[in-house]
Amino acid sequence: MSSVAKKRPTGPASADVVVLGGGHNGLVAASYLARAGMRVIVVEARSELGGMALTASIDGVRAPMLAHTVGRFRPRIARDLGLGGSVRLIEPETRVFAPHPTNGTAITLWRDAEKTAAALAERPNGAKTAAGYLKLDGRLRRIGAYFSEVLDGVAPDLDGGKSVAELLAGFAFRAPFTDLQEGDGREILRMLPMSAADLVGEYLDDEHLLALISWRAAIYNAVGPMSPGTGATLLFDGITSDGADGGAAGQTVVAIGGPGAIIDALATAARGFGAEIRTGAQVVAITERDGRVTGVALASGEEIAAPYVLSTLDPKTTLLNLLGVEATGPELRRRLRATRSNGVTAKLNLLLDRLPDFTAAGSGPSAQTLLRGRIVILDNVLGIEKAFDASKYGEMSETPVVEALIPTLIDPSLAPDKRHVVSAIVQYAPANLKSGWGEAERKQLADRTMSVLESVAPGIGKRVVARQLITPADLEKDWGASGGHAMHVNEGFDQFAQWRPLYGIGRHETPIDGLFLSGAGTHPGGGVTGAPGANAAARLIKHLRRSAE
Amino acid sequence: MAERYDVIVIGGGHNGLTTAAYLAKAGLKTIVLERRSILGGATLTESPVPGYKFSVASYLVSLLRPQVIRELDLAKHGLQMAPSVGTYTPHWDGYLDRRTDHADTIREIRKWSHRDADNYDDFKQTVNDITRFIRPAIDMAAPDPYGDPKEWLEYAGLAKDFGHLPLRTKGALLDLIAGSAYDFLSRWFEGEPLVATMSASGIIGTFLGIKSPGTGMVFLHHYFGEIDGSFREWALPQGGTGSVAAAIASAAQSFGATTRTDAPVKQVLLKGDRAVGVVLESGEELYADTIVSAADAKHTFLDMLPTGSLPTDFETAIRNFKFRGSSAKVNFALDGLPTFTAAPPGNGHLMGTVSISPSPDYMEKAYDDAKHGHPSKRPFLDMLIPTLTDPTMAPAGKHVATAFVQYAPHKLAPEHGGWDNIKEQFGDLVVDTISEFAPDFRDKIVGRQVMTPLDLERTIGLTEGNIFQGEILVQQMAFNRPVSGWARYKTPIRDYWLASSSAHPGGGIMAAPGRLAALEILKSKAQVGE
Repeated sequence: MSSVAKKRPTGPASADVVVLGGGHNGLVAASYLARAGMRVIVVEARSELGGMALTASIDGVRAPMLAHTVGRFRPRIARDLGLGGSVRLIEPETRVFAPHPTNGTAITLWRDAEKTAAALAERPNGAKTAAGYLKLDGRLRRIGAYFSEVLDGVAPDLDGGKSVAELLAGFAFRAPFTDLQEGDGREILRMLPMSAADLVGEYLDDEHLLALISWRAAIYNAVGPMSPGTGATLLFDGITSDGADGGAAGQTVVAIGGPGAIIDALATAARGFGAEIRTGAQVVAITERDGRVTGVALASGEEIAAPYVLSTLDPKTTLLNLLGVEATGPELRRRLRATRSNGVTAKLNLLLDRLPDFTAAGSGPSAQTLLRGRIVILDNVLGIEKAFDASKYGEMSETPVVEALIPTLIDPSLAPDKRHVVSAIVQYAPANLKSGWGEAERKQLADRTMSVLESVAPGIGKRVVARQLITPADLEKDWGASGGHAMHVNEGFDQFAQWRPLYGIGRHETPIDGLFLSGAGTHPGGGVTGAPGANAAARLIKHLRRSAE
Repeated sequence: MAERYDVIVIGGGHNGLTTAAYLAKAGLKTIVLERRSILGGATLTESPVPGYKFSVASYLVSLLRPQVIRELDLAKHGLQMAPSVGTYTPHWDGYLDRRTDHADTIREIRKWSHRDADNYDDFKQTVNDITRFIRPAIDMAAPDPYGDPKEWLEYAGLAKDFGHLPLRTKGALLDLIAGSAYDFLSRWFEGEPLVATMSASGIIGTFLGIKSPGTGMVFLHHYFGEIDGSFREWALPQGGTGSVAAAIASAAQSFGATTRTDAPVKQVLLKGDRAVGVVLESGEELYADTIVSAADAKHTFLDMLPTGSLPTDFETAIRNFKFRGSSAKVNFALDGLPTFTAAPPGNGHLMGTVSISPSPDYMEKAYDDAKHGHPSKRPFLDMLIPTLTDPTMAPAGKHVATAFVQYAPHKLAPEHGGWDNIKEQFGDLVVDTISEFAPDFRDKIVGRQVMTPLDLERTIGLTEGNIFQGEILVQQMAFNRPVSGWARYKTPIRDYWLASSSAHPGGGIMAAPGRLAALEILKSKAQVGE
């Protein structure tokens, strides 16, 4: 790193690299870069670290503000950064509890797929459903194991594929595609562009179960389960921290102390490696000269000089707002503007005076076991599609899809008294609501969400002592996510791998020398994985070594 | 006494006839068996209203491979095509009328958006560059990712060309393959009628909306076309599309092929693991060394083979192959031309395609209805008045109009009681839709024919009424069409081949599957002969 030291600019504030954003990806990237010997300054606009992985207080009880599960955090990163004992994870036996909103039945997906299949066999046409579930589960686990390795690398270079199959799969870097069973390899090439509903529908025709599994490919995104390309999202969601433990049920893992516990551990690690972290520091521009990064300018008027900037902010903010047209060029701006980043996901956090009763869960300890899973309320694929349709025209769903978690049940340390938090992801409520997000609209969304919850947990409304609603418009305003999208840009086959956020800037490098793109808007996408941060940092370090040679 | 042939071709549509022509030309004793009493399949001219002739199903030609026209000498066999000039889109606040003159087109587009007019040439250049690069792929059999490396040799040039493409073209190509037609167009355009009408190329025959990812692929499919070497040009065959089939049939016959109508095949006859002949509905048996099916994948594999003759995985894959017909045709006999409220003077705007696609939201809402099992309340229409270029289609002074209508989902929600129950109601809806922009249209109608997806299925034999014999979806193209590992016209049954649009490169009046299948069959015969 001595060559870097020589190039170090002088002045009041300078660094080798400025990392934009103090969320999990920013902190992961900062840790890796500092560990490699770089002088790193992290700038976070908000007063606290965490970005979308924030644990905050609701009336004195700690609750996950946005993301509430952390099951896909990369184990490799935890090892590399020595997070080891500082974060404790819990994976409840119940992955998903899905009470049907109208007919009183429920589906439970367990960690143990055989147990799930045994319960599914009791449903109408159950023998076929159980067999289909196990077959799908096996397929998703095997493909998940393959993609798990893909997650730990930069998106592939389509021009440098080693073999034809690898080239086509577009994953010519870590896991040799040809190591897969031929059948799975063929299926990946076929499934990536499919819709999740079509994909799952080849294995299952139980309407409620089909909707439940394909929903995983639509959550957080402005798509429905029938949108092509959601197959890719589903296959990627099958990857969890154990490598391939997602399967058909998906993961349900929470961190003790909330997702913020990971943030605390990462911040400690980053500082330990020597990174400087500043909160309340909003970047207003990335400065450059002749197409080469020179640093960043803060809202305070201060400038930090640095030859490298790694941005974990969303790609539109980074390239369209923080840089001028002379730096990015009209072509890139035009393509990036058309990238889909309209958020449709809201979050409703409820503080309850006691645990609510879910009719289909029964009561007592067995009910508590069921309610430790993600509680997903939907009926069938067309029901989800109907909820999605409204959002296409700037309207909120009459009956939103709700995925709730009761973190206080899994991690009682969050609420020392008998109170409970219901953390509910609500979809679809578009950022660009036609009537705007006024008080009336906020109330309407909260009320509609409560009606959905009431349909499976009558009386839950009476238990609410405090509530907190975060709309996509809030995500845009308070978290700086352009378009209010929790994943920065929409996920799916069309904005995937090298295509994320756009072909040409999908490998973290940008046309501006020294500017690296990271965060959820880059490969491999959103969720608390840390992978975009680690991959972009690796790319930057590689670049540095190459130019030092 | 059963007759013996070298080749039996099941299905007398344009692909079956093309295969037969190529094989007969190579000296093989070939017979084509057609279920109906008329050749053509969906490439068909009929007179459901006496005195008026209609291209009842497919209605425009652009994808027909120039090799086929040349190698089968179709001009000699009577094929004549007139270019279709432009597209007229009526809108509630005016219209967009794009014709062949470049300066006029730019002026028209500028009415709606200056930005669009400024970007139009760049868009055209980009799409031309993409189609020029990708087009060779539709004239080659698809290589298999796990297949013989030799299959990829043909594609080596293409891979090299890809490396040399400028980043913007590469990016646009990849965006188009994975993304939606609407998103792609939005990079250049914002004008409502322009974006909506152009994005319609992304949904034709597909059960998706213009904003659904994957419709870029369908868009690209429709831009492959070339007439006289010019891209994305559509043409009207004189005498309707049936004359395309008639020309190919005439070529096949001139090479010695026999064509038989009213000869529905009941089953393919197997001997061990190989196909040896067919039995007709009549009980008649015919034998041949090679059996070729130009029917779609469902008929080919699930209906015409004895149960249990296919490997389980293959059969499952065919059952998972998606058809999902989404369109209907409504054909009108008119005693005069309709008058559109917002239109330029003269009849020039009616010479090409009249597109009822006023705005992206209109298009997307039409899809939403279909997704939930309803015909679109206000459908997208692509209407042609062929009599303006080919007066022989109707009595003197009269006209025919043929309207491609989407969405008409094959699978209706139960409350509709099936297509036969709402067929005429649907016809009325189409009349209402056109009359919204041309109020006198309804008064000009002297006869009409509604072809619902169910009619397309029953009459022409298109499973679920899908006009491409299988949806143009990314996962159903190239080496996945119709089944991964079986995309090169061969099937798991020895000596049984697939030559329909269910095979690469897919549907449209292209004749590419028919030609490529014939070439593969000849190659395999040559190898056996060695």
